[in-house]
This record gives sequence, structure tokens and C-alpha cells, in this order.
Amino acid sequence: MSTLLRLVYAAVFACALTAAQARDADDLVVGFAADVSSLDPHFLNAVPNVAAAAHIFDALVHVDPDGKLVPGLALSWQAVDPTTWEFKLRRGVKFHDGSEFTAEDVVFSLDRPAKVVNSPGPFTSYTRQIAAKQVVDAYTVRLKTPAPYGPLPLDLTTIYMVSKKAAAQASTEDFNAGRAAVGTGPFKFVAFRRGESIELARNDAYWGGKPAWQRVTLRLLTNDAARTAALLAGDVDAIEAVPTPDIARFKSNPAFRLEQKVSWRTIFWQMDLSRDQTPFVTDKAGRPLPHNPLRDLRVRQALSKAINRQALVERTMEGLAIATGNIVIPGIVGHVDALAPEPYDLAGAKRLLAEAGYPDGFALTLHGPNNRYVNDEQVVQTVAQMLTRAGIATRVETMPLSSYFGRARAGEFSFALLGWGSLAGDSALRSLLATPNPDIGWGGFNWGRYSNAELDKLVRAALGETDAARRADFAGRAVQLAMAERALIPLYHQYATWVMRKGLAYRARVDEFTLAQFFHPQ
Amino acid sequence: MSMFARAHPGRTRLIAALARYAENRVAAVALTLFLLLALAAFAAPWIAPQNPYDLAQLDILDARLPPGSAAAAGELTYRLGTDAQGRDMLSAMLYGLRISLTVGFAATAGALALGLVVGLASALAGGSIDAFIMRVADLQLAFPAILIALILLAALGPGPGKIVLALIAAQWAYYARAVRGVALVEREKDYIAAVRLLGLAPPRILFVHLLPNCLPALIVVATLQVGAAIALEATLSFLGVGLPVTQPSLGLLIANGFQYLLSGKYWISVFPGLLLLTLILAINLVAERLRVLINPRLDGI
Repeated sequence: MSTLLRLVYAAVFACALTAAQARDADDLVVGFAADVSSLDPHFLNAVPNVAAAAHIFDALVHVDPDGKLVPGLALSWQAVDPTTWEFKLRRGVKFHDGSEFTAEDVVFSLDRPAKVVNSPGPFTSYTRQIAAKQVVDAYTVRLKTPAPYGPLPLDLTTIYMVSKKAAAQASTEDFNAGRAAVGTGPFKFVAFRRGESIELARNDAYWGGKPAWQRVTLRLLTNDAARTAALLAGDVDAIEAVPTPDIARFKSNPAFRLEQKVSWRTIFWQMDLSRDQTPFVTDKAGRPLPHNPLRDLRVRQALSKAINRQALVERTMEGLAIATGNIVIPGIVGHVDALAPEPYDLAGAKRLLAEAGYPDGFALTLHGPNNRYVNDEQVVQTVAQMLTRAGIATRVETMPLSSYFGRARAGEFSFALLGWGSLAGDSALRSLLATPNPDIGWGGFNWGRYSNAELDKLVRAALGETDAARRADFAGRAVQLAMAERALIPLYHQYATWVMRKGLAYRARVDEFTLAQFFHPQ
Repeated sequence: MSMFARAHPGRTRLIAALARYAENRVAAVALTLFLLLALAAFAAPWIAPQNPYDLAQLDILDARLPPGSAAAAGELTYRLGTDAQGRDMLSAMLYGLRISLTVGFAATAGALALGLVVGLASALAGGSIDAFIMRVADLQLAFPAILIALILLAALGPGPGKIVLALIAAQWAYYARAVRGVALVEREKDYIAAVRLLGLAPPRILFVHLLPNCLPALIVVATLQVGAAIALEATLSFLGVGLPVTQPSLGLLIANGFQYLLSGKYWISVFPGLLLLTLILAINLVAERLRVLINPRLDGI
């Protein structure tokens, strides 16, 4: 009874909120879909934290809505020799406290990620490649890498520049309290209420043009229904990650404007490819099998063929995704046009399973998160349903992200759902399928511990290539090899969506970032 | 002391008790409704059009169909619509009802047994043991039941057996306190003093003499708590910590449909919600009637 009562109260409360609060024309309130755990831009490498930081701080290199690298605090960058990148800094940029941004701040900001304590997801994978930092003059920095390293400018899009003066001894707590949250970005820190909201005020001296909003509030609305309700009630002007069931309604309502774009995120299955005994594959009676069937290419092909990606995209994702046979989205390094989504072929899947020695299938538990990707829990169930038709006895286990990633990393699963957003195929493969090696930061998300010397070689060649065409060639070959091996089973690229009240405009971004400075009145 | 003790012997006694119960028409309807629901839950595997827990019988192409739609392939008509996985809502609700009732009754029985033993022992022992046990119970009652169950399930993982364990852990203290209260009153009565003077062993006094006289009061508490246990299970499933997603109980069905409420696909949440409401209302009305009957002082109130 108490559950229902609570639902009734919630409904009454939601109705009471419909009276929109009066706001000034130059105020903007945006509903974030995921929790921001800190305003320290070097604390946790996760999209919500990085997107929140991008309001207060700038990076040397910025990413435009289509995923192209554009000048940020660096006006230009080039490899002066194979192991040295030179960055020319923008002149006359002022921090929020009035001090000038110089090369010293760059060196300080690149040193800091390694000094942050207790980071649940460090940024050091982006700074580890830098062996030496050299201040040529106040507006020129040279970064040396031990070996040729092409993606350094891409890596530096995620490292934000903080003020050496304000953050010299600062802890993460000092950033959260605002004392050290002094950046060069379009907005200044006002208040950070953990789990609730971030308040910002316009930086009138911003180098990139004055934002349209005097005051900005980022409200953290992690509950899907609550986020939709807040927009309908007029409590927020725009929301990100629109819940799929609500999209049709917003589309048909002239009071709102919907923006969507294929995001950089690919959703796929990671499989245990290293162990001969894997914990969640058994025969149908629950007894262990003599060998791990997932190590057989024919079995992986069969599983991939048994998945009806078109139905998955149209029904479970309600059209908000595009089926894929690639690791990265079209238009970026490492996308191979020739790799089409695996066609749905149930008979072929059964034939391959029989050839591999499993004419009656086997039992498999599918693991997935239930609060990370769009419709993640539903997707896991749908794929389980599809594999069942091919003769696999499936079980489904989903859990919150907090326990999911840790267990997946520890190799506790056999068949696990993962989403990965990347602006380059070679860097994606470095994290997802390169032979795991913590010393060099490779294979951090290679949950199945796949290891292929040929693939490692191609990834290393691509990453070490500073010539764009040759790098794309190596990256493409690496992706083709991984896909021919079915080292992971790609499903689709999800859409990123935003919906805002009429009279607002936002350019949809491939990296899913929601940035107040890019909202404009129409 | 109760209506059961006062009535005639044998079968006539049962009929008289039922007749007395049925004097309240609302309670009679509630009992009938409850028995019908229990029967439907028991017969679910035979009367449900589909086995909603068998993934091979689901078709994603039939997802979110409104009530009365026909399946894209096959003969099935989805009388109450389908959920996001193409699961027949009617079948899912029947199976969900089965889980809710099983979990509710198993948890209540377990908590009752544990509470009974602890409460009686506490009352009989008295002194510092009594004080200690009751402070433990107080401590437990100071936490909301949902919190205790959530923490336990987070540690144990999902599954019907684990939900039952969590519910027992969350609810035993109610029974322990109720039993102790009744037993303390009974303990001072002459018949207990008499059997004590006869020199009977404490376990015999406990189970043969004290227990039967505490039962009527407990039956009322237990009936009320069945409703509470079912609601708690639904809440836990709603929060996503109860049962596997492929075996939805009523709470999980409501949770799955929750996000579609604003977009007009009402049937995924509303039908299981109504069923849960009916079930708990029926159980509470039955419990309320039993309370009145067993405590004659309340008769006619």
C-alpha cells in the first residue's frame, strides 16, 4: 500500500509544480541526466563531470559538435619532430580572478592529474604519454613523448586548464567549494550543491564570445521521469538524454524543440575470450563445459548473427539508434564503411553453432548495467530473447553501474554489455581490445582479456603515426581485424537527444556534452 | 476467550465462525476476492496464455502493444497489452501475483516463527535476557523496514529466496514484541502458575501452554503483516533490487511501465498496479475483520 500511496503523492506533487517559476530572460536552467560527483576537473574521467567542468574551464584543444578538433586555449599545434608536439597559446586570456593564462598554467594543469588523490577514474591515461613539458616562452609549450604519438591533441581535449595561482595547493574539496574553481571558461563558479545543482554566472571577459546567459543552473535530475516532468512543468528550460518513451510526445508538441544526433557512443558485447573455463557459460543443465565456447570464432559469429539489430533498434530503442558493424561512428578515424551491420540470420546462427559442436546450444548469462546507457536493461533482455531463439538458454542479470564496472573489470562476467564513446578507432581499440597492460594504460576496458599480437601491432602503428592518412589506414586495418575476429559484438550507435522549450536552440553534439554556452535564444 | 473457543464443536464450529465472519459483507467480499486471486495465482501455469518467464515465447516485435492487440506471429491475443519486451501483461500479472503471494506468505511464516520463538523465550526468561532481546528488537524497529531489506538485498543479490530472507529480517521484530506482550500477560495468569507448580519443564510450558493462548492475537498481526510484506516486496522490486528482470513480479511490472505513463502507454503500469492494490486491500480487510472477531471488545466498532 505504501508504494502506491507514494506514487499518488508524487503525482499530486508533480501537478502542484506545474506553475512555472518566473525567471529572467537571461537565466538558463538545464537538467543534467547524470550525477556530477565533483567540480575538480581532474578528479573523475566521466562525461557528466567533464561536461560540467567545461562550463568553468577550457582545454587547450576543443571539440566541435561534429567531433572535429578546434582551437581552444591553444591557437595551433603541430608535431615539430616525431616525438615533440608544440602548442601555441592564445594571448590575452584571463582567468576569472583576473590573472593571465600562460604556459606555466599549462604545465601545472598537465602535472596535476597524477597528483589527485582517490580518483575513481583518473585522467592519467591522457597525460601518461607526456615525458617532458618544456616552456619555450609564455605562449609556447612543447610536449615530448617517448615514442611518436599522434593522438596527443585528442587526449588534451579532456585535460582542463586550471590556474596555477588559485590551485597550487588545492585539493578536490577546494574545487567543490569554489575556492580553486578558477578557470578561463565562459562561466564563473557560484555554488555547487552536491547531488542537486551547480550554479554559474557569466564570465563577461570570455575570449570565445559572451554567452547569452547571465545566470546558469545545471540541475542534476538523474531520474528519467523527474527530468521529463521538470521540463513539462517549466522548472528547467532544457534537458539532455530525453527518455525514449517521451520523445514522440515532445516531437509532436509545438511548445518544445527536440534536437538529436548520432552520438559517438557504440553499444556492444564484451566476451570472455581468454579463459578456457568461463563462469557464466555452462551446459543447459548448469554443468561446466569442457571448453569456453566463446573462444570459438564460429560461436561468436553465430551469436552475432542471432541478434536482429533492426528489431532491437526499432523496438527496444524506439528508433533512437543506428545498427552498426563498426566500433566508431562514421566520419571519424577508424570507421570502415565496408563493415556493414551483421545481417540477422537465425538459420545461419544455428548451423554455425552445430558446426562448432553445440547443436543444442548452451546456457549463457548476459550481464549489463541498468542505469548507464539509454534503455540498457531492456537491451540486455531483448538480446537474451534473440539468443534464446538460436537455442541458447539465457539468463539476464543487470545491476547499477556502481557495482557493474568493478565486477566486469575483475573478469567476473562472460558476456557483458559496454558502451564506448571515442573520437578515434585506434584509441578505442587501445582501451577495449589491446592486450591489457596497466603499465602503459592499454586494455583498461578489455574485460574479456582478448590478446592478439597482430592487432596490438596495428594499434601501436596507428597511435604512433602523426600523418593523418597513414594513421587512418592503420586504424582501419585494426578495426577490420577486430571485427573479422568478432572480438566484440557491436550492436548500434545510440542517439544523443536534447529537448528544450520553444524559443531556444542547441546544436546537438556528437560527444553528448550538454554545454550552456551553446544554447541560444532563437 | 475467542470466538473459536466459544463455538460448537467440529464442523459446525467452522460454519458458525464463517457465518459470524460473513456478518460483515465487505469482509465477506474481500475474503472471496482474496481466495479467487490466490486460486488464479496457483493456477497461473495452466490458465496464463503465455509463460512470461520463458524468453523464447516473447517477441520483441510485439513490444508495447495496447490491450486487445493480436500477436504479429501466432494465435495469441494480448488482452491486457504487452510490456516493453513483448510480454503478455495478463500472463505476467498472473505469474507476478504468484510470486507476490508466495513471497508474502513465506516471509510472514518465517518472521512469525522466528518472532514467536524469540518473543516467548524473552517473556519467559525475563530479567536481563528479556531486556537485551527487546533492546535488539527496538534497535531493529528504529530502522525503516525498507532500509534493512535494501541493505540486505544489495549484499545478497536478487532472487525470490533472498527477498524472503530480507523480509524476515525486516519484520521479525514486530512479532517478537507482540508475542512478548501477550506472553507477559498470560504468564501471570493462574494456569501458568499451576503448571509451574506441577514442575513441568520450561519448554513444555512454553510450547504446550503459553503458545496456544498467544496465537489468536498473533494471527491478526500476521494477517496484517502479509499485506505489508507483499507491499514491501513490490517496493523492493520497484526499486530494482528484488527479482531478476526476466521474472517480473507486480512491483517490477509497475516499475517497467512507470516511464511510459507520461507517454500514454498506461497499461504496463496501471493493470499490475490495480491488481496489487486489490490484493493488498483484500488482505487488509480480512485482517481487520479477524481483529474485530478475535478481540470481542472491539465488536461492533
